[in-house]
Amino acid sequence: MALDVKLKKGLEGFDIDVELLLDEELLVLFGPSGAGKTMILKMISGIVRPDAGRVTLGSERLFDSEAGLNVPIRDRKIGYLFQDYALFPHMTVAANITYGSLDPKGAAGTRKVADLIALMRLSGLEQRYPHELSGGQKQRVALARTLASEPDILLLDEPFSALDYQVREKLRMDLLNIHKMFPITTVLVTHDLEEAFMLGKRMAVVNNGRIEQMGLREEVFYRPKTRNVARFMGFRNIFDGVVVSTDSLYAVIDCKGLGLVKAIRQPEADLRQGKAVSLCIRPEEILVIRPDRAVDPKIQDNIFECEIVSTIGRGSTHILFLKTGINDTLLKVELPNFVLRKLGLATGRVVRVSLKKESVWVIT
Amino acid sequence: MDLFPLFLTAKVSFIATFFTVIIGLAVALVMARRDFFGKRIVDVLIMQPLVIPPTVLGYYLLTVFGRSGPIGRFLEDVLGIQIVFTWKGAVVAAFISSFPLFVKPARAAFESVGKDLEDAARLLGKTEFEIIKTITLPLAWRGIAAGAVMAFARATGEFGATLMIAGNIPGLTQTLPIAIYDAVQAGQSSVANTLVGVITLFSFVVLFAAGRFTKGRF
Repeated sequence: MALDVKLKKGLEGFDIDVELLLDEELLVLFGPSGAGKTMILKMISGIVRPDAGRVTLGSERLFDSEAGLNVPIRDRKIGYLFQDYALFPHMTVAANITYGSLDPKGAAGTRKVADLIALMRLSGLEQRYPHELSGGQKQRVALARTLASEPDILLLDEPFSALDYQVREKLRMDLLNIHKMFPITTVLVTHDLEEAFMLGKRMAVVNNGRIEQMGLREEVFYRPKTRNVARFMGFRNIFDGVVVSTDSLYAVIDCKGLGLVKAIRQPEADLRQGKAVSLCIRPEEILVIRPDRAVDPKIQDNIFECEIVSTIGRGSTHILFLKTGINDTLLKVELPNFVLRKLGLATGRVVRVSLKKESVWVIT
Repeated sequence: MDLFPLFLTAKVSFIATFFTVIIGLAVALVMARRDFFGKRIVDVLIMQPLVIPPTVLGYYLLTVFGRSGPIGRFLEDVLGIQIVFTWKGAVVAAFISSFPLFVKPARAAFESVGKDLEDAARLLGKTEFEIIKTITLPLAWRGIAAGAVMAFARATGEFGATLMIAGNIPGLTQTLPIAIYDAVQAGQSSVANTLVGVITLFSFVVLFAAGRFTKGRF
């Protein structure tokens, strides 16, 4: 069912002003804590009343500030998963799940609840109370309870944030499977980039109450439109620069603190000479060149000599901070551990790196 | 020994507690859920009987419910009910003085249920009445029960305001605390001892029961 939303609300310190349009898909609202993501879900559901705007679900208008329309929460048919699950502590798992069921006593309703219990791997836990469940089980009960009420859309507020890593992995897969089985229009809020990328085909980046960019995840992930989005998407190296020259294929940008960098020109990008732009590259896309080998002709551009200032282990990878010649600009590079070992990289060594043209992204 | 004061006190306390719970639940629910202009003033007014001297409270009640008071005249002329110097006056005094003792814990109990749980129920399609019945009351009932026990205990012990509005008419409005006072004044120490013993035992049982209620499972 299509969800069409336009919301405005003034809050302490900032205000929310967003528009969203989605159909039977899973849209991820991604952004830093305090960006207003949860507030957006609360306004869609009716828990919080927007100052202005409208909420339309399918053909039904749920909220319209101009018409003075505000459908009560109970009539909205919205499935909402709270961050801390909001299970009813005085009810068993079974009672929680059937609580909102449309047909709790009927044969079809009973079967549906039984199916949900099996699907959510809750068999055998029916008579337990919420305080007797693990975090992952609670989360599954909450999802089953929501689905039992047969909602038209699902709003998931950081559904996995309170769980440990392995449980989270598994539940994300569960959610994807469930979404395949019940292709309900879903909005999922998260501040976890990995989760956002795994779950959402489409992504909206929320910052300061606004949607800074919305689109296919690859689009948002690899082609951020603003510096903030680039930062949230894990581009750790972002530099200001000015376009020096440009042709149909490439643009050369003079970056403060880095020097001249050649980048592939996006056909639609406005890269006039003299235009101020930002240039960014992901830490894992920076290539460290083996000192004993000649530079591969394919990566001849954007070679910089730098000194390794520090290395930080991150489990399977290492983060290297490299100081370039000019203004002590720091480049952040992420390398797998075996590369680090093979190249004998350590603090104090001088290496050359390549910012491949293909990996450099220019924000106009 | 005349057991009338004991029976009267039990009757007055039960009736007063009944009204305290019924009206107090509604007041506590509104105070817990709604924000409105002057809420803090209302809160202070509800809590007044806890700090105001009982005689002052009794004086207010006498003014309001007496022959010359607006409510008193209405009740007497229109409904034929006389409050002052009847056992009904004792009920009014017990009700007013025990009301805050009920509302405070009941409100806290409602607040502790948490808005998320009630919102979750709303999102699952439940009406406000269903939510109160299935979520709010079941989760808050311990606090409510503890408040009701406290209110009942306070009602049985009410002295000052009762003396002012209901008077000390043996066999008519003489409640247990007033009977004790009377017995001491008259030097009947054996009667006083017995009544004091009854009240003490009762108070102990009440506090013990209230403590058991507040110990929650969830």
